[in-house]
Amino acid sequence: MIDLHDADERAAAAGEYVLGTLAADDHAAFSAALAHDAALQSEVYAWQDRLLGLSAAAAAVTPRPQLWQRIDIAVGALAAGVPLPVRAGATAVHAPWWQRLGLWQGVSALAVAASLLMAVLLVARTTPPLVGARYLAVLQSPDKQAIGWVVEIEAGRALHLVPVADTGAVPAGRALQFWTKPQGAAGPTSLGLVQAGRPLELAISRLPDLGAEQLFEITLEPEGGSPIGRPTGPILYVGRTVRL
Amino acid sequence: MPTAVTTFDYEAAVLACARGERFALRALYERESRWLLGVAMRIVRDRERAEDVVHDAFLQLWQHAASYQPSLGSARGWLYTIVRHRALKEVRHSGRMPAVDPTDLAALSDQQQAAEPDARGLDGDSLERCLQRLDDARRACVMHAFVDGYTHEQIAERLGTPLGTVKSWIRRSLASLKECMA
Repeated sequence: MIDLHDADERAAAAGEYVLGTLAADDHAAFSAALAHDAALQSEVYAWQDRLLGLSAAAAAVTPRPQLWQRIDIAVGALAAGVPLPVRAGATAVHAPWWQRLGLWQGVSALAVAASLLMAVLLVARTTPPLVGARYLAVLQSPDKQAIGWVVEIEAGRALHLVPVADTGAVPAGRALQFWTKPQGAAGPTSLGLVQAGRPLELAISRLPDLGAEQLFEITLEPEGGSPIGRPTGPILYVGRTVRL
Repeated sequence: MPTAVTTFDYEAAVLACARGERFALRALYERESRWLLGVAMRIVRDRERAEDVVHDAFLQLWQHAASYQPSLGSARGWLYTIVRHRALKEVRHSGRMPAVDPTDLAALSDQQQAAEPDARGLDGDSLERCLQRLDDARRACVMHAFVDGYTHEQIAERLGTPLGTVKSWIRRSLASLKECMA
C-alpha cells in the first residue's frame, strides 16, 4: 500500500494515479484521499496536464450517431431526477440499455411505447417550453419481434426519426424509404429516403397532416426510392403515433 | 484548422455544464468525442464497450462538472482523465487482457490521423522533448501504461522485463518527466 503521509510517495502516487498504474486497492485509497485533500488535487491536475499530450498517440474514432442520442436521453433523465438504469457490471453488457434484448422480451408493444415515451417526456421536461402537441411512434418489424426506429414529433417544430437498434445493412441497389399516412388519408405520402442507422430530422411542413394514430413506416425500395410514389417493397418497420 | 481548436474554451464549457447548460455538453461532445472514443478504444479494444465508456464518462462529466477546478489545471486534462479511468475500470473489472493486435486497430480508427497530427490541438512539444530523454524501454513503459492502459504486470509480460524493474522504471520515468517539464 502507498503511504499518503510521505511527501515523495504522494507525489509519485499522483503521477501513477493519472497514468493508471496504481493497484486497485491503492487506486481506491488514493481516490478517497483525493476527495478532501487540496494538495493532492493540485498534484493530480498537474499530472493530468503533463501527460495529456500522450493522448495524441490514440487515433480518432468517429462515434456512431446513436451515442449522442443515448447521452442526451440519459442526461435528460438525470435532470428530471430519475435514477438511470443500472449497467449490470462492466462486463456482460455491451449494448445500450434500451437496445438490450432482455429488456424487451416479454414486454408488450404498449409497455415499450410507454417506456420510450417516459424517456422522451423526461427529456422534454428540461427542454424549452412546448410549442404544440407532441407525438411518438415506435416503429417495429411487422412481426413485432424487433424495434428499429422511434419517430418523435412536436407540432410546429420538427420530426425526428431516431434509430434505436442496429437494423443491418441495406442490400445493394436498394434503399430505405420513409412514409406516413394520417388517419383517413387515401394513401401514404413519401417523406424521402433514410440511411440505415442514421437519425433524420424533417420539417413539420413535409407532413400531409399530423395527429394520433398516424401511420409511419419504412419500406425497402429500389435505389432512389419508389418510382410510383407509393410503397412497392416490403414493410421493414411500422408503427402509429400516440399523443404525449 | 488548429486555430479553430484552440479558440474553443473548454474551461468555460465545463463550467457551463456545472450550471446545467446542456448545449455546453453537446459542444464538448462535438469537439472531443472522436478523440475521446479513440482513447477509450485503445484501452478497451472494442467499439461498443468504448462507446459505453464515452457515454458513462459524459454522464460523469455532467454530474461532476462542479468539481472541476479551473485554477488547478485544464478542463481537457480533467476530461481525458475521466475517460481513461472509466476505460481502465472497464477492462480491469472484466479481467480481460487486450485481445486485438495493435495492427488491427488501424482498421478500426479513422485514417486521417497521420495526416493531421495537430488536429486535436494538444500541445505536446515539451512532453515529447522530455520523453525523448528517457531510454526506449522506459518510454515504452509509460506509453503502454497511458495509451494502452496496461498494468505493471501486463507491461512486464509484454516487454519481457521483471515486474519490479517495470515498477521502478515507471516511477523514475514519471519523476524524470516532472523535473524535465518543470
